[in-house]
Amino acid sequence: MSATDPIVMALPKGRILKEVRPLLQAAGIVPEPDFDDENSRKLRFATNDPGLEIIRVRSFDVATFVAFGGAQLGVCGNDVLMEFDYDGIYAPLDLDIGHCRLSVAEPVELSETDDPRTWSHVRVATKYPNITRAHFAARGVQAECIKLNGAMELAPALGLCRRIVDLVSTGVTLKANGLVEIERIAEISSRLIVNRAAFKTRPGEIAARIERFREVVNAKAA
Amino acid sequence: MNDAATRALLPEGLHDTLAPRAELESRTVAGLLACFASQGYEQIAPPLVEFEDSLLAGVGAAEGRRMFRLMDPASHRMMGVRTDMTTQVARIATTRLSAAPRPLRLCYAGQVLRVESGKLRSEREFGQAGIELIGTASTGAEAEVLLLAAEALHAVGAADFTVDLTVPTLVPVVAAALGLDAADATIAREALDEKDMAGLAPFTGRAREVLEALLVAGGEADKALDALVRLDLPGEAAALVEELRAMVGTLRDAAPDLTLTIDPGEYRNFEYHTGICFTAFDRNTSRELGRGGRYQVQGATGAEPAVGFTVYVDSLLRALPEPRRAKSVFVPAGTPRDAARQLRADGWRTIAGLDPAGDAAAEARRMGCGHVYRNGGVEGV
Repeated sequence: MSATDPIVMALPKGRILKEVRPLLQAAGIVPEPDFDDENSRKLRFATNDPGLEIIRVRSFDVATFVAFGGAQLGVCGNDVLMEFDYDGIYAPLDLDIGHCRLSVAEPVELSETDDPRTWSHVRVATKYPNITRAHFAARGVQAECIKLNGAMELAPALGLCRRIVDLVSTGVTLKANGLVEIERIAEISSRLIVNRAAFKTRPGEIAARIERFREVVNAKAA
Repeated sequence: MNDAATRALLPEGLHDTLAPRAELESRTVAGLLACFASQGYEQIAPPLVEFEDSLLAGVGAAEGRRMFRLMDPASHRMMGVRTDMTTQVARIATTRLSAAPRPLRLCYAGQVLRVESGKLRSEREFGQAGIELIGTASTGAEAEVLLLAAEALHAVGAADFTVDLTVPTLVPVVAAALGLDAADATIAREALDEKDMAGLAPFTGRAREVLEALLVAGGEADKALDALVRLDLPGEAAALVEELRAMVGTLRDAAPDLTLTIDPGEYRNFEYHTGICFTAFDRNTSRELGRGGRYQVQGATGAEPAVGFTVYVDSLLRALPEPRRAKSVFVPAGTPRDAARQLRADGWRTIAGLDPAGDAAAEARRMGCGHVYRNGGVEGV
């Protein structure tokens, strides 16, 4: 990256993108038409602002692109930030979208007899092995994590493990799979994130863009 | 994997440096040291390994987790491989050089080794080169160190970097003035270090207002100073802001072209610092070229104020333009030695043919030479 190159903003595919879209609109950022075409093979998109380019990647990769300075700005949930715990990411603005929670769940019948105080070791299926290990370690329990990338709810029913750590928004999916939420690890929302070095070396530009989003979020809340 | 490939594999975070980068590295380090020496910083060279306790003393206290250790069969004591050279310089200043006149100006360069590579930096072994100005509390000391560091970076070819200033004691002082307890002060400090706005959610009222303002105050130096002044911070904190303002003024006079930013929340890796600290960021590679600031070294007779700066040589090398191979000339076998000597005196690098070659020009190309010595003169190939 050179200091005169456009700023690159990394946005996550899927659920969050739908909620980010109105914020972009309100901030006056208009991506090229391909951006809204899910079948487009393009990965980089120009915007109406020649100084801003958008990339569309998986939400875990948003944090990675921003941490390494490939993108200077991004949007991702604090679940992803907690999981990676990169030094190089700032999260100066809570966008107040993508609300859900990160929770521990287990089968309903297990929860009726389970006493968490007696655990020394748990096996957990999750997309978040680092958060899971840290969460259980904080109370002296060793967590053995089975890394899955989706459909965590299947794991207890098919005997991979008895507990899962996953994002929960309405709880409908858990219920449909005979699981119940037993602990909340964190409240999740999406954050505007910034690469640390870009924040330091291109202060004017970056600050102005954060400020624009801040106004949009405040206006929405008001 | 075959045998040769197995031997080629290096442990994670370690690498071989080949030509022309290895040469660039030693030239760069020599350039930094020459610049340091030109302002009276005397070079010292501590050992790669020393007793663990010495490395963990004072400013080294945080290094324990990233140190390779080995047992000394001679003394049966635990030794550590240095993870940072600052502690070693502090040790020398307060022991062997305790009687040397103050302020003491020292410089150094060497390799350090760490157990883990960082998430953003894969290197476990890398070079450091730095300066320490020990035994003076003068406000001129920070400026001298920072300006010299910037001059040295420029001298070796780093063309486009910015300097971020911070005072790691500011946030704790503000937290105390706001009446936060130790646990809340830590939460505030971490949220400000990571610019994590949601991390300030536990705070309310005036505390929330001040902390949020501090979080967004960082940026271009003059703007940041204005924002800090507008906050109308209480006594001690206001004095720290005033110190920053004076520093910015001094730096602007001395180096008007240096881009300065201020980040009042920066804290990580400055845990042991006691005054103004600074970090140099390369604009093009987004890497930290080096950092430093004011701290205290513990000597036998008490603490001494010090200011230091360390350049991360690996990051600096990435920020420099790709080196060119030196101009070299192929000297076929049988060329008089005096002729080759004269070529070197004229600034050429000579690659000698050891056996007669049929086509000297082809041999020159094969050996990576752009020129060949023929018929008493240098010809391009």
